[in-house]
Amino acid sequence: MTITVALPSKGRMKDDAIAVFARAGLEVSAIGNDRSYRGRINGIDGVEVAFLSASEIARELGAGAVDFGITGEDLVCESLARADDRVEICARLGFGNADVVVAVPDIWKDVTTMADLGDVAADFRARHGRRLTIATKYWRLTQTFFSTRHGIQLYRIVESLGATEGAPASGAADIIVDITTTGSTLKANHLRILSDGVILGSEACLVRARKSSHEGDENVARLLSAVRGVC
Amino acid sequence: MPQAGLPDFADDLARALDACGAGRVDIPVIQPAEPFLDMAGEDLRRRIFLTESETGESLCLRPEFTIPVCRAHIAENVATPRRYSYLGKVFRQRRDGASEFFQAGVEDLGEVDEAQSDARALAEARALIASFAPSCEPAVTLGDQSVFEAVIAGLGLPAGWQKRLIHAFGNAQALDTMIARLASPDQASDPDPSVAGFLARGDVAGLEDHITAVMEATGYSTHASRSPTEIAARLMEKQALDATRLPPGSLDALKSFLALDLPLDRAADALTDFAATAGLDIGDARTRFAARLDALRAAGEDLSAIRWRAAFGRPLDYYTGLVFEVAAGEGGPVLAGGGRYDRLMTLLGARQSIPAVGFSLWLDRIESARAG
Repeated sequence: MTITVALPSKGRMKDDAIAVFARAGLEVSAIGNDRSYRGRINGIDGVEVAFLSASEIARELGAGAVDFGITGEDLVCESLARADDRVEICARLGFGNADVVVAVPDIWKDVTTMADLGDVAADFRARHGRRLTIATKYWRLTQTFFSTRHGIQLYRIVESLGATEGAPASGAADIIVDITTTGSTLKANHLRILSDGVILGSEACLVRARKSSHEGDENVARLLSAVRGVC
Repeated sequence: MPQAGLPDFADDLARALDACGAGRVDIPVIQPAEPFLDMAGEDLRRRIFLTESETGESLCLRPEFTIPVCRAHIAENVATPRRYSYLGKVFRQRRDGASEFFQAGVEDLGEVDEAQSDARALAEARALIASFAPSCEPAVTLGDQSVFEAVIAGLGLPAGWQKRLIHAFGNAQALDTMIARLASPDQASDPDPSVAGFLARGDVAGLEDHITAVMEATGYSTHASRSPTEIAARLMEKQALDATRLPPGSLDALKSFLALDLPLDRAADALTDFAATAGLDIGDARTRFAARLDALRAAGEDLSAIRWRAAFGRPLDYYTGLVFEVAAGEGGPVLAGGGRYDRLMTLLGARQSIPAVGFSLWLDRIESARAG
């Protein structure tokens, strides 16, 4: 059986992913030219490399269309319902580190914890005639964190696909859930992460689609032990 | 022509609802999603069937009837009191069970006699279950949020704490968390240094000015979201809330109230005893509770066959008083559920406050109860 490994198709993520594989003794080469979206691992037959965008990798893993992928944990948790049933995080790769966080306008000096936010959300409708709004592209992570972990139900999500940090100042939403690496963009937009507002500490991971055919497969075992050996 | 999947007792049930004096309303299956999400919160999104119209409006398959019935009433500007009944499919994504099933029910809008209309809703729901699922031993449970509200007001808690507890009422886990916090509050973190001085001096005006100045300097509108006044007020309030410790006596009183679980014919005495032991004045709520008991007796209900659970409520902010459910036996599936939601009509845009009480029946579960 041919095993397909999906790697990020561009940028730092691509370079870092290929570097991890190289350290693990898995030399990735593109088929045809450097810009090609297909590749192979030198010296290993029966393994194909597909270069895809990071969010597509998460989706394809969930659908079982690829066997392995390197992508962010945030994208896996956000794109897949019941991710644990469908994929396995095999190794954390130590790059692409970023946190998905709840951030409020820094001037909300009375709101430092999720419990504070719960108080504000409960009262919001009575004060403002509308629910508290959260700008985010992380629907699933936000809902799970607010509803299940913190019992906060009364808010509305405003979908934001870019420049999310600007939403509170522009009036598009009251607070945000977004990904941050250094926190400098949040700071520049006068936002502050709640003390218990880190939803997920994410990094790039080697992820496997849970397939029964993987059991006893030589290439699967080889890839796993090679990458795990260097992480 | 019979509707596909409609249980065989549906026609009889429709006649029985009509006999309750509740005219049948037809509610379109496709509904704007906003009112449901707005009332129940974002979490509902995962459990409804959503789509978008060509113009970008969020639409869903009706997940329940109460909100659309109330909206139709407001839109048509009908005089109250008015009773409506409905019978039809609702659509919800469930992990177990079919995602479309039939519900029927009654909404009683604008009846000002609270005790009467509460009793009527419960009596009708129980009687309908008795006649359509005659073989099951129904377990009827009743709760009342307004009694809980009176108890925590009587304990002398600050308004902020009362709000937190009321908000958590009906969700046992959330309420436990709140009570634990109240018993041993979080280490009050020091306020941000930029506002600590104002707080220490109790200088609200200065605090507001400071917040306004920062918002203007950082490009935040002072009115689009939380205002300087609101933030300043909550900063002051938070200090008071953080300093609140519920004395052990009051904490025990709260816990012993929430543990009350007994037949309704003994509820009035138990409530009186509780208030006397705890030294609480819950006069008004007790009077209204007793009036409802009288109305239930007058409606022919056997109070000894109904359980009162003080902690029973629904964690939705438009429920205000009575809640009840009729289950197929102790711990069995809920066949009928109802309650009073006096806040819903104004939340949905009614210009004046309209008291409302209603119940709904789960026809698929009633069908199984009939078979079993």
